[in-house]
Amino acid sequence: MPILQAKNLVKRYPLPDLSGKHFFAVNKVSLAISAGEIFGLLGPNGAGKTTTLEMLEGLTDIDEGEANICGFDVTKDPHKVKELIGVQLQANEYFDHVNLLELLSLFTQLYGRSHDAMSLLAKVNLEEKAKAKPARLSGGQKQRFSIACALVNEPKILFLDEPTTGLDPQAKHKLWQLVRELNAAGMTIVLTTHNMEEAEALCHRIAIMDHGHIIAEGEPLELIMRHAPEPPQARSHGTLEDVFLHLTGTALRE
Amino acid sequence: MSVTFTMMKTFLRILSRDRQALFFSLFFPLLFMFAFSFGSRANEESFTLGFTDLAGNELSDAFIKALKEVPEFSVETGNESDLREKVVDGEVKLLLILPPGFQDAGSPAELKVVVDKAQVRELGLIMPMLEQVLVQVERQLRGEKPLFSIAVEDVKARAQNYLSFLVPGLLAFTVMQIAIAGSGYNIVEYRRKGILKRLFVTPLRPSQFIGGLVLARGGFCLVQLSVLLLIAVFGLEITLAGPLLLIYVLIILGTAVFLGIGFAMGSLAKTQQSIMALGNLVTFPQMFLSGIFYPIDVLPELVQPIANALPLSFVARGLREVIVNGAGLVELVPQLLGLLVWLMVSLLFAVRLFKWKVVAA
Repeated sequence: MPILQAKNLVKRYPLPDLSGKHFFAVNKVSLAISAGEIFGLLGPNGAGKTTTLEMLEGLTDIDEGEANICGFDVTKDPHKVKELIGVQLQANEYFDHVNLLELLSLFTQLYGRSHDAMSLLAKVNLEEKAKAKPARLSGGQKQRFSIACALVNEPKILFLDEPTTGLDPQAKHKLWQLVRELNAAGMTIVLTTHNMEEAEALCHRIAIMDHGHIIAEGEPLELIMRHAPEPPQARSHGTLEDVFLHLTGTALRE
Repeated sequence: MSVTFTMMKTFLRILSRDRQALFFSLFFPLLFMFAFSFGSRANEESFTLGFTDLAGNELSDAFIKALKEVPEFSVETGNESDLREKVVDGEVKLLLILPPGFQDAGSPAELKVVVDKAQVRELGLIMPMLEQVLVQVERQLRGEKPLFSIAVEDVKARAQNYLSFLVPGLLAFTVMQIAIAGSGYNIVEYRRKGILKRLFVTPLRPSQFIGGLVLARGGFCLVQLSVLLLIAVFGLEITLAGPLLLIYVLIILGTAVFLGIGFAMGSLAKTQQSIMALGNLVTFPQMFLSGIFYPIDVLPELVQPIANALPLSFVARGLREVIVNGAGLVELVPQLLGLLVWLMVSLLFAVRLFKWKVVAA
């Protein structure tokens, strides 16, 4: 039994032209993620990755379909689900005038728990920033702090929405290392990215989304062999980037 | 409950560390109070009268002496051209010239008065007093007894000057400003920064979030208003005629009403700009219509019923009744009822409109 199961998720928004027609941000997406997996949701901007995550997290209403996490229905039992998941959002801003330690203990208390905030900061290498305000952190530090906030309830599943976007290679590798450590300790991780290198390096399994649909799913190597088996030049096979471009086209998205 | 308490603690922390907001929330009401207190003090000062005595006889001496005894006047003697300049400068309110022929000679002597007619308000006060003094001197010289005398007794029930009218209004106005800024503006900021989203991906419930913010803001508002009250009482010598408890009841009710209105606004507005516009739309008319700076009675009759029904009017009127007129609970019933109705309306809207979820992209 998968730890996360979604069937035919649909999210639609009315088109702004008042024609009564809808724009389908997510269109019949089904997912099955096993415990202990690092699952990657890939796709160009606007493909529906974030909306899919937000529906699973209970942040956006599910218009059609259903999803359950650890056996709890996301729509019917959102509170139970929220207690089981940890979430890092794309926007990682926090209250002004409150330092990292205070924010972490706030988040811990929202779950009715008590947790050693300092050891959490140590886990993400931010001990020396304990008294700093989040606004003073660098991009990589902010992302690591966001992950620390997502860990306060020792979640079964950790959702990471574009955790490395905008980070330099060093910060990126540091974050990958953190994700691997958490996963090695038994945490299931669902992340979105449009960085193919990241998907190939981190994910056990990936799903590629475009225009609200999942258009391919499988293990990275499996997808490579299926969609880009020929080596581009000297290499024995293409990269995931080739898979990505093959499946979603080369046109620029806004 | 403990989560509500946790949110309250966090908001108190944020509020107490936001020095700038703290400063400005007290700065403007204090500025107004002190500006108007200096204004009203200036009125109590004596008028300086210029005096040029061209007669230099017994009669003119007696006249000057009588003038100097009037407490409202201070008299400066000198030559005409110097004093004329002082009238122009405004240092001397009025220049009185006694002609050389100023004596008790049967025919009335004409006194020349040089004034700046732009200062009508003060002239209206000075001229009758001056005439009074003239009559007194005349009676003294002629040995006549006055037919009437008036004894004025001050019951000192209320200090009915502008400042004591203004202070309760400013307190009410501050309640509105702090409460609306504290809920509406913050909600929009938190939503735009994604903080609301982040909070509500935890098991936090909207009621706990709102409860925490209301408690923190309410508590803070009480402290800020207490500071203003202390300054008004000890710094500006405003006397609180009615019970302090009722003042606080009005402040708490007013804060709750405006927090509710702020929450509703914060849910309607999507951007910081639109909440500013919406905030002005709600606060500006009340600032001018709710009897903060002048009584509602001076407004056109058509507007008065609307003005009287505004939430700020209930707070301002209530505070004025208690602080100035010493009203008790019974006299306050209409204001309290009005505020309770507004409280229900604003809370209804606050809860119905509050959304932390992302609506449309």
